[in-house]
Amino acid sequence: MAVIEEPRSYFHPLYDVMLSTPGLSVGVAPLDRLLTWGLKNALWVFPMATSCCGIELMASAAARVDLDRMGTIMRASPRQSDVMVVAGTITVKMAPRVRRLWDQMPEPKWCIAMGSCAISGDFYRNLYPVVPGIDTFIPVDVYVPGCPPNPEALMHGLMRLQEKIGLQREGKLVPSEPRPDFDAMVRPPALSRIGDAARAADLSDRQEQAALTMCPDAAPGVVEDEEKGFAQPATQATPPLNTELVELLRDRFGVTEFPLNAPPVVSADKHLELAATLQKMGYRQFLFVAASHRPAKEGSEDLCEVAYGLRTVGAGTKEAIWQVRVPTNQTVPSLVPLFAGADWQEREQYDLVGVKFAGHPDLRRIMMSDDWVGHPLRRDYPADKECAPWR
Amino acid sequence: MIFAASLAAAVVIVVLSATALALWYERKLAARMQTRIGPQFVGPIGLFQPVADLLKLVQKEEIVPMGADRVLFALAPPLTVIFALAAAAFVPLWPGVAVVRSDVGVLLVIGFGGLAMVPVWMAGWASFNKYALLGAMRAVAQSISYGVPLVLAAMVPVILAGTMDLDGITQFQATHHWFGLWPIIPGLPAFILFLLAMLAESNRIPFDIPEAESELVAGVTTEYTGMQFGFVYLAEYVHTVVGAAIGSVMFLGGWDGPFAPGLHWLLLKTLCLFTFIYWIRWTLVRLRADQLMTLCWKWLVPAGLGLVFLSAAWNQTGWSR
Repeated sequence: MAVIEEPRSYFHPLYDVMLSTPGLSVGVAPLDRLLTWGLKNALWVFPMATSCCGIELMASAAARVDLDRMGTIMRASPRQSDVMVVAGTITVKMAPRVRRLWDQMPEPKWCIAMGSCAISGDFYRNLYPVVPGIDTFIPVDVYVPGCPPNPEALMHGLMRLQEKIGLQREGKLVPSEPRPDFDAMVRPPALSRIGDAARAADLSDRQEQAALTMCPDAAPGVVEDEEKGFAQPATQATPPLNTELVELLRDRFGVTEFPLNAPPVVSADKHLELAATLQKMGYRQFLFVAASHRPAKEGSEDLCEVAYGLRTVGAGTKEAIWQVRVPTNQTVPSLVPLFAGADWQEREQYDLVGVKFAGHPDLRRIMMSDDWVGHPLRRDYPADKECAPWR
Repeated sequence: MIFAASLAAAVVIVVLSATALALWYERKLAARMQTRIGPQFVGPIGLFQPVADLLKLVQKEEIVPMGADRVLFALAPPLTVIFALAAAAFVPLWPGVAVVRSDVGVLLVIGFGGLAMVPVWMAGWASFNKYALLGAMRAVAQSISYGVPLVLAAMVPVILAGTMDLDGITQFQATHHWFGLWPIIPGLPAFILFLLAMLAESNRIPFDIPEAESELVAGVTTEYTGMQFGFVYLAEYVHTVVGAAIGSVMFLGGWDGPFAPGLHWLLLKTLCLFTFIYWIRWTLVRLRADQLMTLCWKWLVPAGLGLVFLSAAWNQTGWSR
């Protein structure tokens, strides 16, 4: 729920003198008018622009709207800014940095939430890394709705902020209003999400099959099946694998199955040997490692599928793609000793899917913050309250 | 004595108010160059914009970063203004009148210009911030390098006029010719060289790598809040205004002009130079650090040496007499 700050109590020491000296207190009201006039007309903006709203923020300083008309300029340092304009989606990893920059701004200061992502998270609201509205961690004075709001809207927001500043007396800031309870207002999504325990057991599987058919190698000529709602692979598909790899896998690695819509499965203990062999054969470029999680169903245990891709360098490029399936609690041999390019990609798979790579020199989180709990792309990841306590 | 003191006070007030006006003028000029309007709502045609800025800066909280050297941190911004203002004392305002008349005026002016880098380094060092330190380092390196062509360019009018007294230089120009126009070979290039070196000394675009926003946040001023930042901001403009005045004294005849010579000519010339500087600022992009040093040491310094030699040669011809 929204964090509501205590009203901040910074005011200029001049007021202390004027209020405590008899006779001088008469001057407080004119001083208020003078000083608020100054504050209102020199709002220097700290552009906390993270995405598309940032482009509109830039546009609002440019020729057509020109915020400089009302004395508003952009400053690069938070120390010299008065208004933080948060323009764009703020992720959980970014939020502490935004908060820190906010704390570095000198009082009196204000915050404008520009755009629906900054206000509530908008349609990224239900994603695991997105903060649902910046007012969960900094007090917001003016909300400028829109996706993105146009420069005129931002200027209107600044004018509303000027009105608000004009209301302050004796240097005391007008406190920001507590935000409405969005949770009560927003209708929950009609479709259950992946993390839902009540979700049909085969739904994940069907979705995955549909995703595989989108791979151009797997099935040229995908047909849409309207009854099932998912695309189905066409019946006559050409084999996607290169014959060199098929022969190698069949002769030396004992692989018998070569499905049309998925890479061949290699057992985890032979995986490293295969990669080394391919490297000697000229597959010297590391293409990708992609992992997905397959929750336990009848007949199969909790699995991680890790697909690797290598490529030859030079003319007539060939690709070799295979996959390794391991139970979630077991390790996959890392390819980092062979291909340095695998380093960060394996870290990413570890971070998001939770595949553990044996022999990886530096297996830390790379995308989520270090204190993140769980691996968000696992099918059984509780995407709601447990891992996102601010919701 | 009383006259000198009141003159000094008047000069300070005039320079500071001219600086405030320059803030507005620059924003308007920049806006016009970018097909914007610039300050418009604060007072008539936005004239009170610097006043509002000042009032706001005064109200802001003063933050001293943890780990900063408090004394140096507090001392640096006022010092920047003082050193920038000090050079204004030597500007001859009208025939025979300056706040300080000195036989080595040129030397003192350049000396104060170089001294202005000391508070910048103080600020950068005391801020306890890597961006501030890097910015200060760049500023000092740049200032020391460009001091050389600045001195060489200033040598040209000194040699031509045969005096280091700024008023003497102006007198010579009034009776003979403006050095920016004639002799055209050492004069005009020396004037351009002087302008370039002065731009670099005051860290303006295209020589503003010490505060390159994309690299260094706000350079030396990164940690300064409120009026402390206001001082540094002000000093930059004072530096430019005074620099433009010195340039017009040394190369454009200062108070000399047709009809009635006097202060108004100096102000007009300063305004023109000032406009030119801001025209450059809002037109050009900034140089890279290595390009900046290449320009200085490989081109400007040899050019300056050549110009000094040429002006001595011109003196030998006796055509000025």
